[in-house]
Amino acid sequence: MIRTEEMLLNVGPQHPSTHGVFRLVLKIDGEIIVEAKPVIGYLHRGTEKLAENLQYTQIIPYTDRMDYVSAMTNNYVLVHAVETMMGVQIPERAEYLRVLAMELNRVASHLLWWGTFILDFGATSPLLYAFRDREMILNLLNELSGARLTFNYMRVGGVKWDAPEGWIEKVAEFVPYLREQLKGYHQLVSGNEIFLNRTKNIGIYTKEEAIQYSLSGPNLRSAGVKWDLRKDEPYSIYDRFDFNIVTRDEGDVLARYHVRMGEIVESLKIIEQAVQQFPKQGEIMAKVPKIIKAPKGEAFVRIEGSRGEIGCYISSDGKKEPYRLKFRRPSFYNLQILPKLLEGESISNLIAILGAVDIVLGEVDG
Amino acid sequence: MLGWTKGLAYTLKQLTRDKVTYDYPNEPIPLPDRFRGIQKFYPEKCIVCNQCVNICPTDCINLTGKKHPDPTKKGKIIDTYDINFELCILCDLCTEVCPTEAIIMTNNFELAEYSRDNLFKNLEWLDENDENIRKVNKP
Repeated sequence: MIRTEEMLLNVGPQHPSTHGVFRLVLKIDGEIIVEAKPVIGYLHRGTEKLAENLQYTQIIPYTDRMDYVSAMTNNYVLVHAVETMMGVQIPERAEYLRVLAMELNRVASHLLWWGTFILDFGATSPLLYAFRDREMILNLLNELSGARLTFNYMRVGGVKWDAPEGWIEKVAEFVPYLREQLKGYHQLVSGNEIFLNRTKNIGIYTKEEAIQYSLSGPNLRSAGVKWDLRKDEPYSIYDRFDFNIVTRDEGDVLARYHVRMGEIVESLKIIEQAVQQFPKQGEIMAKVPKIIKAPKGEAFVRIEGSRGEIGCYISSDGKKEPYRLKFRRPSFYNLQILPKLLEGESISNLIAILGAVDIVLGEVDG
Repeated sequence: MLGWTKGLAYTLKQLTRDKVTYDYPNEPIPLPDRFRGIQKFYPEKCIVCNQCVNICPTDCINLTGKKHPDPTKKGKIIDTYDINFELCILCDLCTEVCPTEAIIMTNNFELAEYSRDNLFKNLEWLDENDENIRKVNKP
């Protein structure tokens, strides 16, 4: 007599396709996933608790290590929160440098996602092309800030370094170069039948579900919600740039792919305009006291990171350290929909669905 | 139907491109001046103001000072200065606050050691680390 039973399958925490130390406990019936249970916390360092004993400037290197793939946006959300509390006016030139750094970092982050997502399907060469071009962005950011990933570039009131000589020109040259390369990327992957078969109509969620699960960033826009904080709640100087919000209605893995690819193009548009408008002279630091003390009270700010809305809540009692600090980390929220997406799916779709959510474990675990 | 041939055409086109990798470690990797590597310390410049110790987010710097040997001069001079590279995250904040630029970043980044104890660098070691020093330290 044939007897069938459910099997328990453990994925990770060291599985390369989980992009970090993420564990999934799957209950499978044959090849169909019955239940998926994510296990997180392997990379938890207690950033928020540590921050309670640190001065605001000292917290900036810790934010680099949350979403280490796009550290500039994390840097920005913290300094933005403190600046909001203090009511500091940021010099023009510093704002442009910040926007350039953040958008370059967003492109680098999406390129890394593009390469590794397709690597998960077994295609190795796109990864090398993505890393070749991402390397150029990392070199630009290295010249600017002195590090390739953990930039520690922004300060309360401005930025640490001014643009080095010839840097703006290099950025301007990079934009058309990457546009040309993007055509090649589409030629290489976007029309490939194997790729389409493995991404189309899987991992679908609706607009309503996306909002219910408080998804944000490309994950939200792939379901047809037109919501981008750079447009809808402009911070910094984003209201000066002309760009579009990329959305798709399908809500499947392929839609998330196209949204991210479209966002690279939009980010390049912002970079191009920022380079043109870049002020020739000016300060890079506002007048702020040497030891920064946020006034008594609380503030919450949110910005559009590469993976979604990054929020920062500060409660201050007027000292040089925050009383309580909390980050809204988009990867953590985006991950919550995973068990729902995996239920009833074939095990071969697991990696594609997980990859399309685009998590960074440093950010999930905090 | 033949989407993969388009991809293959792109891959073949890349064959003629220049190489983008470096023959590291046989060749050094070019790094910008601002690169944050292991610190260089100038004992004669240090005024024992303790600012680097206070700003360090990971508490990896330890220093002690002693009285100036010349009794006519005021102030202190440095006695011991240690950085624990098990903890240091090379965040550049110590060089940023130093009023006399006694501590400066270099482009050296090779820190691998066989023993954890060897990651504990003292004043003499940091003083001798004098290659590829950052030229412009403050913006």
